[in-house]
Amino acid sequence: MSLAPWLLMLPALLLLAAVYAGPLLRYAWLSGHASSVLTGLIPVPNDGANWQRLAGDARFWQDAFQTLRFAFLSVGLELLLGLAIALLLHRPMRGRGLLRAVTLLPWALPTTLMALGWRWILNDPYGPVNGLIQGLGGQPYGFLSTPATTWLATVVADVWKTTPFVALLLLAGLQSIPGDLEEAMQLEGASRWQILRRLTLPLLLPYLGLAVLFRLAQALGVFDLIQVLTGGGPGGSTESLAFYAYLQAMRFLDFGYGATVMLATFGLLLLLALAWLLTLRRLQGRQP
Amino acid sequence: MLGFLIFLLVGLGAVGAPLGLAWQPGQGNAPVAATAAEGPVPVRVLMPAPFVDATASLAARFNASHPGIRIELSRGPLDTEALSDLAVSSLVLGEAPYDVLMMDVSWTPKYAAAGFLEPLEPWLGDHALDPMLPGARAGNAFGGHLWRMPFSGDTALLYWRTDLMDAPPADTEALVRTARSLQKQGKVRWGYVWQGRQYEGLSCVMLEVLHGFGGRWWNPATGRTELDTAAARQATGWLSMLVRSGVTPPAVANFAENEALQLFAAGEAAFLRNWPYAWKLIEQEGGPVAGHVGVSPLPAAPGQAGGATLGTWGFSLPAHSPHPAEAVEVIRWLSGPEAQKELVLSQGYAPTWQSLYDDPDLQRRHPLLAVQRQSLELGALVRPLTPLYAQYSDVLQRQVNGVLSGSRSVELAMAEAQSQSTRVAEAIDPR
Repeated sequence: MSLAPWLLMLPALLLLAAVYAGPLLRYAWLSGHASSVLTGLIPVPNDGANWQRLAGDARFWQDAFQTLRFAFLSVGLELLLGLAIALLLHRPMRGRGLLRAVTLLPWALPTTLMALGWRWILNDPYGPVNGLIQGLGGQPYGFLSTPATTWLATVVADVWKTTPFVALLLLAGLQSIPGDLEEAMQLEGASRWQILRRLTLPLLLPYLGLAVLFRLAQALGVFDLIQVLTGGGPGGSTESLAFYAYLQAMRFLDFGYGATVMLATFGLLLLLALAWLLTLRRLQGRQP
Repeated sequence: MLGFLIFLLVGLGAVGAPLGLAWQPGQGNAPVAATAAEGPVPVRVLMPAPFVDATASLAARFNASHPGIRIELSRGPLDTEALSDLAVSSLVLGEAPYDVLMMDVSWTPKYAAAGFLEPLEPWLGDHALDPMLPGARAGNAFGGHLWRMPFSGDTALLYWRTDLMDAPPADTEALVRTARSLQKQGKVRWGYVWQGRQYEGLSCVMLEVLHGFGGRWWNPATGRTELDTAAARQATGWLSMLVRSGVTPPAVANFAENEALQLFAAGEAAFLRNWPYAWKLIEQEGGPVAGHVGVSPLPAAPGQAGGATLGTWGFSLPAHSPHPAEAVEVIRWLSGPEAQKELVLSQGYAPTWQSLYDDPDLQRRHPLLAVQRQSLELGALVRPLTPLYAQYSDVLQRQVNGVLSGSRSVELAMAEAQSQSTRVAEAIDPR
């Protein structure tokens, strides 16, 4: 392999190392220390006590489960809906440019505002959804005060906001597929479903892979949506790992344990990414 | 492999963002410092945005009479914890972008233990709190030092409807009786609304209900919480009963101050637990209950003294301030009786100075003053004075909110709250 490409990439790699590897190393160092209000925030080595604490911390594992549950459901729904929207927007029709722009609007909205909006939409009893329910003669429902519906509300809000992003990525992928391939298949008498399964989806696979990587990383690090929409409640049932790390560091000033939770979350992320990349490779290998 | 690299970067960015805050410089909303050698020394004060508007004229008056100092008010977030996040992310840098911090009462021990603050008694003397009403003194000193000068002495209060009853309920049982009978007669949809969301406000409610049933949250002598006790179970059981019996709407599990206030101001509830600011809002906005609202100290269970949670703001001096003398002058002015009188009149906060409670002019112009004094004297409850308070509060909020949202029993929740509080205290101890 030639050295030239690496040399050309060197400045960019150094910058990334400074921006990403630096904090990561600092977290790793901090996670080996007690650094909290009881040490006056001065890091004191504590022989892996943070990691022992993490292993026995039921709340960490509960949050890990809740974060994975959120990530899998929201990313799954976003892929399905995003694909459907991309296929629709790919077809030539009148006003397509306008439609594409409109579809992107939720993605352009800051998450904090979006979450405040959903908090109001689902307000019990004054929000519009409960207004509708009461208008139809029903009783107002506590969407954000019942654990079972609150975590689904976080998924709905996330899907609403980030489906356009997935749709956009997949739309870009669709546009890269030459139109004459589809025409050729049509001439051979292939049905729409066959075209989608045999032509579109396989060629779209790299884009699907990228969309999942982006979305999975963001969903596993979900913070702002949780902070504004639920505050982790009710009873901690929507707390995410990133929110827990934030509480430890910013609210409790326990920087040692906060860094430990952060690193563990990052490790989980890496494992999932590897699993997904291996899956992707196998899927691509099966292509004709 | 490119995908993996992208994933790494996005992932680290996404996961690390909340924590990464701690290593970022303070937010860009601090005014640029005047660096000219001549001219007044700028003293930057961080406070929630509404306080900036409320204190703007006070700052202008100070600047006019103090040519050597210029107060610059920095707009921080309204939400109390968001303000703390901003303050903390600037303080961990070790250099103070702010010269004066406006502090919630519950932060004092944590900030002091973290080394964020400079003690005030070398500047203000050992008797700085003596002219304050005794109830309003709590939450400012910790570990033998004065860390904060109070700027308000708010306690939670009971709001009730003068058009529906002649007098406020004497105790918690009378409150429930009155509420139920008014609900049965169809005069109100709900009986009593308060704050049950999983946030600091629920801890404030719990503190006073615990005391109202003869319990307590934390024992200063042992440094341990006392949540797995009969009194604590009765207290939580009472809140749970309010929701289950329909006196309080189930939606209370997601209510902060404003949601509860909305319901009461719309005329849909007989009682409301809230802070003094609510009174001004209800009376000024002229809704259906304006002119029909009575305010009194919170009731306790029969035979109990009870009390009300202190929810006060105050001013602190960050460590390493480049001009502490000027900052202390500003603290002295903004927490002084003249400034407080103006804020009582414009915002309805409870003052801390004894002299203001005795001021006939203020008594006449601020009708709430007598009740505010009564509430402070009956039992102003300060949240546990320990640097681990934030952890304890978090544990209690989760457990009690779990009870309110129907996913946990009172017995289990209080046993868990106690054991988790103990575990947190042991886990964090570096020895």
